[in-house]
Amino acid sequence: MISLLAPLVGDASTISLVGLCKNAGKTTAMCRLIRELDGEKLAMTSVGRDGERKDIVTGTKKPEIWIPRGTLFATVQGLLPLCDTTVSVEAVTDAMTPLGVVAVFRALSDGYIQLAGPSAVPQLEPLSRTFRALGAQRVLIDGAAARRSLACVGEDGCVILCAGASMPGGVSAIAAETAHLCQLFASREPENAALRAALSNTRARFALFTPDGDSLPLEREENGQPRWGSLPRKRCVLWVAGGVTGSLLRILAQRGVPAAVAVPDATHFLQDRGATERFLRGGGRFLVRRRLAIAAVTANPWSAYGRHLDRRELLDALRAAVAVPVVDVRQENGGN
Amino acid sequence: MHLTQQIKEDTGYAWVMEKMSPASPFGRALARDPAWYGPEDREALETELDRVAQATALLRRESTALDETTHILSEFHDIRNSLNRTDGAPMDEVELFEVKHFLLNLSQLVRAYSVLPPLKDLELKPLTGLLDLLDPSGRRLPTFSVEPAFAPGLARIREEKTELEQALRGCAGAGREQLLARRRDLVRREDKLELEVRCRLTQALLEEKDELTGTMDSIGRLDLIVAKAFLALRFGCARPELSEMPEVRAVEMVHPQVADHLEERGGHFTPVSLCLRRGTCVITGANMGGKSVSLRSISLNLILMQTGFFVFAQSFSAPLFEEVSLICTDRQSVEQGLSSFGAEVAAIGEILREEREKLFFVALDEFARGTNPREGASLARSLAEYLNGRNCVALMTTHYDGVSDVAVSHYQVAGLSALDTAAIKPGEAPLDRLSRLMDYRLIPTPPDAPCPRDALRVCRLMELEPELMKIFSENS
Repeated sequence: MISLLAPLVGDASTISLVGLCKNAGKTTAMCRLIRELDGEKLAMTSVGRDGERKDIVTGTKKPEIWIPRGTLFATVQGLLPLCDTTVSVEAVTDAMTPLGVVAVFRALSDGYIQLAGPSAVPQLEPLSRTFRALGAQRVLIDGAAARRSLACVGEDGCVILCAGASMPGGVSAIAAETAHLCQLFASREPENAALRAALSNTRARFALFTPDGDSLPLEREENGQPRWGSLPRKRCVLWVAGGVTGSLLRILAQRGVPAAVAVPDATHFLQDRGATERFLRGGGRFLVRRRLAIAAVTANPWSAYGRHLDRRELLDALRAAVAVPVVDVRQENGGN
Repeated sequence: MHLTQQIKEDTGYAWVMEKMSPASPFGRALARDPAWYGPEDREALETELDRVAQATALLRRESTALDETTHILSEFHDIRNSLNRTDGAPMDEVELFEVKHFLLNLSQLVRAYSVLPPLKDLELKPLTGLLDLLDPSGRRLPTFSVEPAFAPGLARIREEKTELEQALRGCAGAGREQLLARRRDLVRREDKLELEVRCRLTQALLEEKDELTGTMDSIGRLDLIVAKAFLALRFGCARPELSEMPEVRAVEMVHPQVADHLEERGGHFTPVSLCLRRGTCVITGANMGGKSVSLRSISLNLILMQTGFFVFAQSFSAPLFEEVSLICTDRQSVEQGLSSFGAEVAAIGEILREEREKLFFVALDEFARGTNPREGASLARSLAEYLNGRNCVALMTTHYDGVSDVAVSHYQVAGLSALDTAAIKPGEAPLDRLSRLMDYRLIPTPPDAPCPRDALRVCRLMELEPELMKIFSENS
């Protein structure tokens, strides 16, 4: 098998798979990575549910996850009967779900597994630490579709963005949205060292700084949200520790004063394309505390809803829209 | 007696519990539902207090003496749900891992506990037999798998499975499907054997359920004793004395929650001393003079004592009551549609019905203040008189004249009587000024001494509207 994704992810210690939509091909990409990274001690989890034969929502066939012995994986207790590897229980986590506690297993044989790990960012970080303490060289995180902010942890992690035909709108819409996400992931850390330091040190949910990193007062509503109407009428940097939404960017754009929005990393951008465009047209900028690289975009022309696309057309459109490598993980040669 | 959330919150017991942090789930469960030591449990309570005293002395000698123990306690997970199974289903691998983790942790705890001076009547034993059951190869690894040592047939199946999986790695097409089909058959046989092992282990563990739950209880008790000792040291609490007499004696008692709040505002709590004999004791005095705080302090310390804690006083002695009650404005009942008066009457009615012949303690904060003053005073006085004849120690605060006349003892807040008006600093916040000038000490007073008239002075210090104050002065 040709290595398509392995050379693109390099030495990244955490690889997060981010889906543009449901059935975007995240699990297919992950299965390919597992095969390509044969020989490495891998650990994996999912913030959704993966590995089941049929999608519970759409009823469509889904790829199963086959892992080699020695692989570590975190999944809920209730899915253990559906995993056919011989397992050793290595640890239990604090993540509790209706299907039981999320536990960490070591596969003592090759076999199929089903994944449903913790769904909250605060639980992913300690899980990654546990994986590494148990000897994992790399952690693969299968993120849930349309929940980009939950998808990434790790200091030197990278992202594989999975674009699929299940997204409505056809080839042009998929290409445009993929380009939008790649643009957001290309956001940089601030050039100003004082501002970089100020963003690193802030623990607040929202904070306001000058472009030189000096703290500015941020008035609050009774519910704790910033009082947007009273933001200063000069250039400033708004720190958002949670998700950036389209409505927030529209409010900032309406004020007519160019602002920069800074987030921990690009997975925190949750806004639609229209909001991004409007914000940037008004002179706004995006900054990140930590830059995350998109290592590759995968293309899946198969739709769970029956609207399959032409493989060649999709690949060409994506390659024309983004600068990062685009691959078709179902093709042995990557679709070239 | 069962401690309701209401009394825990009204007395400040809930606040004290928040300041205490048992490390294990078993200790936290005991703290949520603390054991009540009634009159029949004098010996057991003395033993519990001995243990807290031992742990406190140990920590006083060496502050890190219990660090290892508390660390091990914090590593326990709650496995009670796995043992409370009614459906007879076998435990899965994760549950068996949790039981093994519990047993390994227990062995460590027993080792750490064995080098400490033993706490009175608190033994911890390692459940080595059960650990051997879950770890047949004796490697004591912190992991769990249904290893071949549990069932000899497993080794052969797994070897075959491994060979097939090796073959699958380089195989595609129809050959692969054949290999997968053979593997599925092996997986079924492996699952069957694993299930038999899990059933056997589950049954063996459930047969020792009493031993396991007893051990969890001992761990919880040890954890709670350590937490009580840390609490006593942090707040300088004292060991209470259990009295044979129906008499409560508190010297230099504080209410920790109020003291904490005052310290945050730069103030200082004035400790109070009280002696309550059988019958009714009445506290009168200025508004904002700390009467209710004294009432809550006594109730809190009694509940702490009867749940095996050291108390917030220089010294404290009391008998063991069947029941300790605090009747104050019950917001919950008022929200449910009862008037504050109705709620008080319902509460005291229930106590008087239930506590016949038993020794009980009841504290009443301005009983009957919500009804018309003439009838209210008469009812409060009647209740004080009636409680004198019951087997109880009762403490009432009141502004009504005549109630203390029938009490067995009477205390008055020193209040603003010695107020030096020159001490009033302009610009000071009214509440801070009041708390600075108020003398919160309780002074033993003859029963027939009239209630002090401090309302006018309190209003003046709180800077009530001057025009209103003028009319108030003329009418007083």
